[in-house]
Amino acid sequence: MSKTASQWNQQPSFPPSHFVDSRIYTDEQLFHEEREKIFNKCWIIACHESEVPGTFDYRTFYHPGGTPLIMVRGEDMQVRSFYNVCPHRGNTLLYDPVGNAKRITCIFHAWSFDTKGNCTDISREEQGFQKRFCKADTGLREVRTEVGFGGFVWVNIDDDACTLGDYLGDSLNMLQDNMSMPLEVFHYHKAIVDTNYKLWHDTNSEFYHDYMHYFNRVTGMLQPGYFDRKYTGYPNGHASVGSMEIKYDAYEGGQKRGVGWPGLAPGGWILIDIFPGMTYNLRTSVLRMDTSIPLGPNKLLIEFRGLGLKSDTPEQRAERIRDHNTIWGPFGRNLHEDLLGVHGQGRAMHPGGEPTWVIHGREENMTIHDEGGMRHFYAEWGRRMGRKAYDPYGERKITAAA
Amino acid sequence: MQPDRTAIEELVYRSCLALDEKNFKGYLDLCEADYRYSITAHSPEIRKDMIWLDHDKPGMQSLFTNLPRHNSDHSPLTRHATVYTVEVDAAQQQATVVSALQVFKTSLDGGATELFAVGRYIDTVKIDAGAPKLLKRVVKLDTRQFGFGYHIPF
Repeated sequence: MSKTASQWNQQPSFPPSHFVDSRIYTDEQLFHEEREKIFNKCWIIACHESEVPGTFDYRTFYHPGGTPLIMVRGEDMQVRSFYNVCPHRGNTLLYDPVGNAKRITCIFHAWSFDTKGNCTDISREEQGFQKRFCKADTGLREVRTEVGFGGFVWVNIDDDACTLGDYLGDSLNMLQDNMSMPLEVFHYHKAIVDTNYKLWHDTNSEFYHDYMHYFNRVTGMLQPGYFDRKYTGYPNGHASVGSMEIKYDAYEGGQKRGVGWPGLAPGGWILIDIFPGMTYNLRTSVLRMDTSIPLGPNKLLIEFRGLGLKSDTPEQRAERIRDHNTIWGPFGRNLHEDLLGVHGQGRAMHPGGEPTWVIHGREENMTIHDEGGMRHFYAEWGRRMGRKAYDPYGERKITAAA
Repeated sequence: MQPDRTAIEELVYRSCLALDEKNFKGYLDLCEADYRYSITAHSPEIRKDMIWLDHDKPGMQSLFTNLPRHNSDHSPLTRHATVYTVEVDAAQQQATVVSALQVFKTSLDGGATELFAVGRYIDTVKIDAGAPKLLKRVVKLDTRQFGFGYHIPF
């Protein structure tokens, strides 16, 4: 039955944990608050160690908190991160996404820094600053950096944050055996979509949208055991979904697979969502990593990486690339569908549009089509924001359990 | 034999027209049985050449068969190619053909057109006695961002 305006706006008949107010996806104020309270407090993947393999190799990263960063490998082979901002006049230090820089020199006035963030040269220092200011008085703003959990370079803007290990807790245990060997990125591309970052993370956190994918319907849902996979929630908003068997040969054109992945059963699949917007996705012979970088309440940059083993032979690598592209590449069958889905949500729930309810109400004993993964995320979101996802401005008259 | 440049250029242009019209059978009819198609791009970010799609002729046929079963953006694409160079290898009865490629996307709702991708076709064309046919196509893309994407190859 269709709904009148008042019926449409009525609280859904679920407990408040099972729905959210769509303004959490569209409001500018909440977006700025998320940058401050979430992205600038959480550990975020900035790149992979294989992207800065040698001494003085650097990589730039637009941190989702809003600050541009540099990750650079020093002479001591340690990867450190800094604001990509000159302390003199606030100019960008390094413009290219990658490079090699023994000295990081600002093109504006030639102030120079080493890979530990020390200022090594101020042009015409004494003439301009006399004894009032010198190299020792300045330096780059260093950002906490840890490398691990598959060789990813993690950064945290908050100097007082817990360690990366404490932040992740046991959430990546399911992948422990699969990431014991050095990995290497072989695929990288970006997509910018008019949608909210949480909607992309939702897509990575729920499998009910299997119905959107012809590929999933024929390779997964028809197979025995598919619906038995369970969500597990971890502290700090992370969640995992257990392994399963996928019948890739059910998809016409699917190729026989030989390379596989260490510790992963043939046809297995492990997916782990890390709060607030990163996803480890391991299947066939490829590890995929998504990193969400919100650019606005309704604008999202997603970085997609595909990884294989550093020890791959050319033949093994070629097979991983094939496996990756069939499903997840820019012309792969699933990726466009997933992006089209969140584009549609962004179009329907745009800033300034009428707020609506978004339902996360499915309960199936936390198995694959249960929406508990999203509920777990929004509980953490609410804790960090000091707001309720179902009533972000505390203005709605929400009953405890409908 | 003396290669007919006009026929080679027309082959490239016909391949664009066929894909624009989603005439996949017509496209495959322009290809040799051992045709190979790939889409490549270079990522400065990871300092690597990438292969984004790689199919033989049966693989392309399978891809085209599966496309209608997927959810896709239905905005039509317009491929614009300009043949730059044709280098003939008479002994091999083949020509290497390099074309500039621009791909435009026109929205269904309102008909606004945007530039979607730029790159090059690097084709190997069979030029024996019959009409020239595509033996190999490498779509070498400069564009690496496609918003929410697209399913049909360029």
